[in-house]
Amino acid sequence: MRKTRTLLAVTAAATLALSACAPPGSDDEAADPDAPIKIGVIADLTGATGDVGTPYHEGMMGYIDWVNSEGGIEGREIDASADDYAYEVPTAERLYKQYVNEGAIAIQGWGTGDTEALMNKVAADELPFMSASYAEVLTDPEEAPYNFVVAPTYSDQARVALNWIAENGEGNQVAFLHHDSPFGTAPVQDARDWVQEEGLDLQVEAYPMPSGSANYVGLLSQVRAQGARYVMIQNVSSPAAQVARDIRAQNLDMQIVCLNWCADELFVDTAGAPAAEDHVLVQPFAPAGSGAEGHEVINEYLQGKDSSLEQEGLHYAQGWYTMHVMAEGMREVVSNGDELDGPALKEALETMGAIDTGGVIGAGEVEFSEDSHRGSSSTGIYQVKKGEMTVLEEGVTP
Amino acid sequence: MAAIATGVYFRSYQREMGLRHTKAQYARLAIVLAAMLIAPYVLGAYRLSILNTILIAVIGAVGLNILVGFTGQISLGQGGFLAVGAFTSGLLYMRAELPAPVSIACAVVVTAGVGALFGLPALRLKGLYLAIATLASQEIIVFVARRWDFLREETGAPLAVDRFHVGGYEIGREFFEFQWYWILLVCATLSVLAARNLFRTSLGRSFMAVRDQDIAAAAMGVDVTRAKITAFAVSSGFVGFAGALMAHYTETVTWESFTLEVSVLYLAMIIIGGLGSIAGSVYGAFFLMLLPVFLNATIGELDISWLASRLPAIENAVFGAVIIAFLLAEPRGLDRIWQRMKDYVRFWPFRY
Repeated sequence: MRKTRTLLAVTAAATLALSACAPPGSDDEAADPDAPIKIGVIADLTGATGDVGTPYHEGMMGYIDWVNSEGGIEGREIDASADDYAYEVPTAERLYKQYVNEGAIAIQGWGTGDTEALMNKVAADELPFMSASYAEVLTDPEEAPYNFVVAPTYSDQARVALNWIAENGEGNQVAFLHHDSPFGTAPVQDARDWVQEEGLDLQVEAYPMPSGSANYVGLLSQVRAQGARYVMIQNVSSPAAQVARDIRAQNLDMQIVCLNWCADELFVDTAGAPAAEDHVLVQPFAPAGSGAEGHEVINEYLQGKDSSLEQEGLHYAQGWYTMHVMAEGMREVVSNGDELDGPALKEALETMGAIDTGGVIGAGEVEFSEDSHRGSSSTGIYQVKKGEMTVLEEGVTP
Repeated sequence: MAAIATGVYFRSYQREMGLRHTKAQYARLAIVLAAMLIAPYVLGAYRLSILNTILIAVIGAVGLNILVGFTGQISLGQGGFLAVGAFTSGLLYMRAELPAPVSIACAVVVTAGVGALFGLPALRLKGLYLAIATLASQEIIVFVARRWDFLREETGAPLAVDRFHVGGYEIGREFFEFQWYWILLVCATLSVLAARNLFRTSLGRSFMAVRDQDIAAAAMGVDVTRAKITAFAVSSGFVGFAGALMAHYTETVTWESFTLEVSVLYLAMIIIGGLGSIAGSVYGAFFLMLLPVFLNATIGELDISWLASRLPAIENAVFGAVIIAFLLAEPRGLDRIWQRMKDYVRFWPFRY
C-alpha cells in the first residue's frame, strides 16, 4: 500500500516537473529579417507618478500604433510588450528580465529609480534604454553606455531655471522643493554647484516633499522662514499643483518655477487657473498650443481616435517623440541593411546625426554622439497666463 | 506530524534524532532533490531568474519567520534589514575589495548586530506596539540609505556591484542565471537546514517558549531578555544574508528595492506559508513570488487591455484577498494545508 502511494506521489511530481518545462522563449526570432521588432516598455500608470506617466505611455503606444499603420520600420512592425510597474523598482527588474527573455532589442523605461537600477544591466545585456528620466548621470556613455537621454537633463533644466530667476529676479532666495527619490534629488546638487560656478547671487535651499501629504502648508512655512521668493519644484504635477493652491490659500508672495514633470497643463488644471497664474514652467517639450510642426502628425492620428493633443496634454507628445527617436534609430539600422540588435541600434543612434522632432523637443533636434548621450540641452520657458501656457523664452540653453 | 509518525519505532537514539522518519518522507525528499537538480536544465533563463529571486526570498522569509513565527515578535523592519545586508556586502566588496564570501559573511554579522540593536524595544514592547517600533527601524534605515551619499556612486547613481567572482571563478554572462542558481540553491538549502535545526536546540526552544508565554518561560528559567535579543540577531542575520545575496545577484543596490512594501510582502509570505514553520516559509516565498508572474501571464494571455493596465492594482487586491482567505480558511498557512492533505491520504477511508 505504501509503495503504491509512493509511486503515485512520484508520478504526480514527475508530471508536475515535466509540465513546468515548457520550451524556453526562442531567442532566434530576431534573426528573421521581416519579423516584428520586439521592444519592452516599462510604464507607470498607477504608481506615484501615474498622473503624468499615463499620457506619456499612451503617447508612446500611440506612436507605435501609428508607425505600424504607416508600414512600420521599413516594413517591419514594432511589437511592444508594455506593463505597468507602479513605480516599484523590484517590479521593474522583473519586467526587464521578462522582456529580455522575450527577445526585446531595446527598452523604454520610465522613472529615474528604475532607470538607474537597470543601468548596469542594460549595459551588460547591450540593450539601448531610453526613459523619461533625464538624470545627468545617464548622459555619460562611460557610466551608462546604453542609456540615451532625449531631452535636456533635470540638471540643465534647473540651471536654465536658476539663470532665469537670477536675470528676472525680484529676490535671491530660492527654495528647491523636490520629490524624495532619485528622481527628485537628481538635480539638487548640480543646481547648488551651478550657483557657485556661475557666481549667481542666489541662495538655494533644498526641501524634500513628504509623499502622501494632504497639503504642504508646513513645508511652505519653512520656505517662508527662509524668505524665499521663488519655489523651484522637481516633482510631478499633482503635488506641485497642491503647492500652488497652498500658496494662494496662504496669500504668500512666492512664484513657482516648475521643471519638466510638473510644467504642464495638468498642473494648471489641477491647481485651477487663479492659483496657477503667473507661475513659471520650464518645459523642454512644446505644449499643445504652441503650433509646433511636429504636433500635426499627432493630431492627425488622434483625430481618428476622436481626441486631440489639446486633450491628451504635452506628455503625450513627449512619449510620442521619445519613441520616435528610438524608431528613427531602428530605421537607420534596417535601411543600412544591418541586422537589428542592441549594439547596432546604439551605434546608429550615436552616428546617424540629428533626428528631427518637428520642434517638439527643445530646439527641435535630438543628436547623440559616442562621447555624449545628451540628446538636447535646450528648453522652453513658459508662464501661466489666464490658465494658458504662454511662451516667455524658447530654445534656452544653460 | 504525530499522525504520520504513528507506528514508527526507533531502535537507536541516532534514528530518533533524524529529521525524517518514514519512507514517504525520504521519497518526497528524493523527488524534491531530483526536481532541484533537473530544474536548471529544463527551465529557460527567464524562468530560472524567477527561481533565483524565489531562492533569495526563501532565505529572507525563513529569517523573518524565526522572529515572527517562532519568537512571536512582530517585525515590519524586514526591508530595512535587507538593505543593511545589501549595502554592507556591496560596499565591502566594491570599496574595501574583500572577496565576495567574506563580504557576505560580514554583512550577516553586521545585520545581526543592527537587528539586535533595533530589537531592544522588544524588551518592553509587545504586539502592535512592537510592530510600530520596528516600522520605525524600517523608516530610519531606509532614510539613511536615501540620504547618505556614501552609499551611492560618486556620480549619484546607485551603488553598482561588480559581477560576482571568487578567486579565479567568475560568473559568466551567458550562464549568469544558471551559475547563480547553484550558488543560491546551496545558500537557501543551508539556511533552511540551519533554521530547521535551530529549533531542535535549547536556544530555539527558548524562542518558542517566549512566544507561547513569556512569563511562564521566565518562570521556567528562560532568560527572556537574552532570547528576544538573540532572536532579533539570528533572524536579522538570515535576512542580511538574503540582502547580501540580492546585492550580488542584482548587481545594483538602491534603497528603492527595500521599501515598506517589501517588509509587508515578506510578512505576507510567512502568514500564507505558515507562521512558525520553516517549510511554510519556503512555500510562502514560492507562492507570493510566483503570484505576480502568474497573474501577469494570465492577464497577458486574456488580452483584455483594461485589465492589463490595472495589473499592479489587481496584484495588490489579490494579495489582500489571498491573505484574508488564508486567515479565514487555514490560519496556519500552506504548511498546515499540506499536512492535512497528507493526513487525509494516510487515513483514507477513515476521517482520523
